[in-house]
Amino acid sequence: MAETFPINIWINEERFKALQEAGLGGLLKEELAGMKVLIVPCNEAQRDKVLKLFPMAKYDAATTKSIELLPKYVKDKLYEMAVKRKTLNMMDEFVAGFAKAGDAFWNQDIA
Amino acid sequence: MELIGHGGKPLVERVITDKAEAKNKIKGLKAIPASRQMATESIGIALGFFSPLQGFMKRADVDAVVQKMELADGTLWSIPIVYDISDKEIHDYGIKAGMSVLLTRNGNPMAIFEIEEIFTYPKEEIAFKVYGTKEEKHPGVARTYAYKDKFLGGKITLVQSPKVREPYTPYFLTPRQHREKFKNLHWQRIVAHQTRNVPHSGHEWLMKHAFIAAHGELPVESMEVMGKAISGVLVNCIVGEKRAGDYIDEAIVLSQDGLKKYGYFREDIHMTTMTFWDMRYAGPKEAVHHSIIRANLGLTHHMFGRDHAGVGTYYDSYEAHRLLMSIPKEKLFITPIFVLEWAYCPHCGEVTCIGLCGHWNELQKFSGTKIRSILMDEVKPTRMIFRPEVFDIVMDAAKKYGFGSPFVTPEYLAEAAPAFSFEPL
Ligand SMILES: [Zn+2]
Repeated sequence: MAETFPINIWINEERFKALQEAGLGGLLKEELAGMKVLIVPCNEAQRDKVLKLFPMAKYDAATTKSIELLPKYVKDKLYEMAVKRKTLNMMDEFVAGFAKAGDAFWNQDIA
Repeated sequence: MELIGHGGKPLVERVITDKAEAKNKIKGLKAIPASRQMATESIGIALGFFSPLQGFMKRADVDAVVQKMELADGTLWSIPIVYDISDKEIHDYGIKAGMSVLLTRNGNPMAIFEIEEIFTYPKEEIAFKVYGTKEEKHPGVARTYAYKDKFLGGKITLVQSPKVREPYTPYFLTPRQHREKFKNLHWQRIVAHQTRNVPHSGHEWLMKHAFIAAHGELPVESMEVMGKAISGVLVNCIVGEKRAGDYIDEAIVLSQDGLKKYGYFREDIHMTTMTFWDMRYAGPKEAVHHSIIRANLGLTHHMFGRDHAGVGTYYDSYEAHRLLMSIPKEKLFITPIFVLEWAYCPHCGEVTCIGLCGHWNELQKFSGTKIRSILMDEVKPTRMIFRPEVFDIVMDAAKKYGFGSPFVTPEYLAEAAPAFSFEPL
């Protein structure tokens, strides 16, 4: 399997329900005291694009092996897109959406 | 009433509270601006947090601390408290041993400094003996190397009490005031929880663990009744120099107090206060220093967890425990309580001590990275991680004091108002 560079999104009970309805409940990983994470996979090209678009983010190769320090609004949007599209295979759409609309993207509804 | 502090010596209190007297005493003194660091330490000295120190250390004390972890008179001491100054400043201000000067902060009078000695001490020697390394990437070592070339030793007397800003005002108590509070609460045993963190439930359990251990063989009967506790937990937050990525001090102090405010600890067994101190991350030596400060606050016990006050990989996880255990009882004026980490066990379905439950491979630890990531995402965590009210307090503090973040950002470093200040006399 090709190496992935995931983005971890925290899932509490409220979000868990929505994800279950989207059929993504089975993809969650138990992380800490009832909190789960949704692991959104990125390939190398997607990772590089994410790090370029969001300079505050870092790929933590040492401990978590995931893309960290993305702002809340980015992760909220990723979560929203996963629920709407009912798939985790939406990084290309996400990256293209932000690249096209810029900051207006955060206020756009996912159709 | 004379109070006894660390070393079995009288608690130091060197503050002139009468304005007229202060004005009179500073008349004619040369004014020298003090850095934030030196002002922080002047407060620590004059209010007695660093008892029995009455001033900045002279060479004999620095040497004894560095070489033997004690003051020149044999009192246990682990970190040099020094006033650094450049040759140019000594020349420009005409500083000589034997003269008194007025230290100022932002142009306002702060303290009288009776300079008794001007001296040098090799910085590398301080670094290696205190921090165990000469590497500049250790923040305590970096601070040592950044000292100017000379040190001034001598007594410090504040000419006014520091003004502490909101939201810290109710949390800043002098050692004397701490002791008055403890007396009113009838606490016989008080255990310190040293912190630079907002409390997740792992921390909450560390405090409970330490409370139970410190209370020990004392009776519990009276404790059934609210208001009748005879032991307490003091959360003493270290407020001082910050590094990007630390929790902001406002969030720490307010969220720790939130545990009591929302009943997770009873009102009569829990208290949150703060001490001005710039962390040196000296690990074991810092643990000794913390025990000295807390003995001066009037505490009987001090909790020490894993990796106490360390940084990077400079110290073993339990090195602080080992150093404290090696110090004879009569030199350490507080009883250490050693605690193991608490973690969430999905098998037990609760937060438990890693030394108690047998589901070793299932434990989910409260890693700093995970907690930080939860807070950054602002996804309300389960109450097994954060008490909901505590989480809300942290988020409110982020908005009110942290420019939107519960963590120190460059903006916070540049713009947050200093925690203390001095006014014109
Ligand atoms: Zn268990």
